[in-house]
Amino acid sequence: MTSSYGDVPVLDPGVIAELLESTGGDEEFVRDLVATYVEEGTGLLGGMRDAVASGDAAAIVRPAHSLKSSSAAIGVMRLSSICRSIEAAGREGRADALGDAVEEAGAAWTASLEALQAAGLAP
Amino acid sequence: MSERSAVALVVDDSPVNRKLLGRLLQTLDIEAVEAPDGLGALASLRKLGDAVDVVLLDIEMPEMDGYATLAAIKDDEALRHLPVIMVSSVDGLESVVRCIELGAADYLPKPFNPAILAARIRASLNAKRLHDLEVESAARQAELLRTIERQKEELSRFLSPQVAALVSSAEGEKLLVGHRRLATSVFCDLRNFTPFSEAADPEEVIAVLGEYHRAMGALIMEHGGTLEHFAGDGMHVFFNDPIPQDDHVERAVRMAVGMREAFADLAADWARRGHTLGFGVGIATGFATLGRIGFEGRYDYGMVGTAVIAAARLSSVAGPNQILLMPRSFASVEDLIVAESVGEVQLKGFSHPVEPMNVVGLLDAAVGAVPAS
Repeated sequence: MTSSYGDVPVLDPGVIAELLESTGGDEEFVRDLVATYVEEGTGLLGGMRDAVASGDAAAIVRPAHSLKSSSAAIGVMRLSSICRSIEAAGREGRADALGDAVEEAGAAWTASLEALQAAGLAP
Repeated sequence: MSERSAVALVVDDSPVNRKLLGRLLQTLDIEAVEAPDGLGALASLRKLGDAVDVVLLDIEMPEMDGYATLAAIKDDEALRHLPVIMVSSVDGLESVVRCIELGAADYLPKPFNPAILAARIRASLNAKRLHDLEVESAARQAELLRTIERQKEELSRFLSPQVAALVSSAEGEKLLVGHRRLATSVFCDLRNFTPFSEAADPEEVIAVLGEYHRAMGALIMEHGGTLEHFAGDGMHVFFNDPIPQDDHVERAVRMAVGMREAFADLAADWARRGHTLGFGVGIATGFATLGRIGFEGRYDYGMVGTAVIAAARLSSVAGPNQILLMPRSFASVEDLIVAESVGEVQLKGFSHPVEPMNVVGLLDAAVGAVPAS
């Protein structure tokens, strides 16, 4: 499952634009939302790494699912896609494939934070 | 229903999603309550009860997932009616079908489209509001029925049971309008009551009247009489209406004899307290008009006719412990009673003198003393 995410944008500006539009241009709210996301995401990513470390495929499903969902909500699409694959692999018990995938998720996470900072939504 | 703003319970383990949904609800003027998982959601619902109008439910959650939560809500009699909208990133038709089968109102994929979710929430709130109105109206109906029952019960303490029953019967309205019927009228009152009430303490007067009314009231009911009214020591009771009674004259006479006996017991007690009172009855039978008499706010079920006037006049000419019968009444019961003539009497307002009979006693009451024939 490596390197098949290059086509997926790290951050979809369209989603951010929709968020701003649906909140009446409330940038403060979107920044607050991103802050919540960063905090939550850090914990979820940590949970995924723990699952890999203990070789527990089932334990990765929930954090992967949550990070997939939260990421998609604010337009962090590449990480969301990676998490979707990890969730599926976890459900199927394919523990061997998880290590690389979580590495890739970590890279996407870092890229996402940079993109959010660049967009002025993260400190 | 009061115009409180609607309340939505947002159940999602992701703080990002809860925040997003909360914000959307805010723009819809809906108050958001949050729970991070199914257990928290059920706890909130049981605490808030009817205050929650709609549930937005995620599926993938720690501590009880969305399927289990949905099933628990739909299993709970008190929560079943709540609309639950699934908002989930669980893909696949299978999950949608499962939730709809479990009773979800709707299923929206995440990330959700704010406009579509807003429309679904509004639709669910309308359904909930309709349900609330139905529940409220059913409760009001039940309360109304209870009130009517209470009033009927209350009413029956003031009206004779026959009239109280009439009030709620289908035939009642017809009878209340007024009708002609043969009926027997009984008037009774106390001799010497006026001087007694002037001399005695008011409390004593009320006490004596209370004992008298209680004793007489029981006899009226026992014999199926319709009590038209009490007026101080006077009473007017009639028979054969609204419930037809073939033996209406006999019932009237038996009641009067019973009253005279009951009065004797009371009078003995009153005499010990220094009050000398007597009891007299007049009974007359004839065609009369019966029905609702009075005016808005104060109606009696009454009897109007010559027999009523005759009974009233007889009662006022009766001596202590006399039960005077007009000849027509006497003719119906002469085989049942021992009676004596009291001679011709000119009743006020009547063109000819009448010859009433005084009831000495009932023949069957003497059965114990005289061997039956």
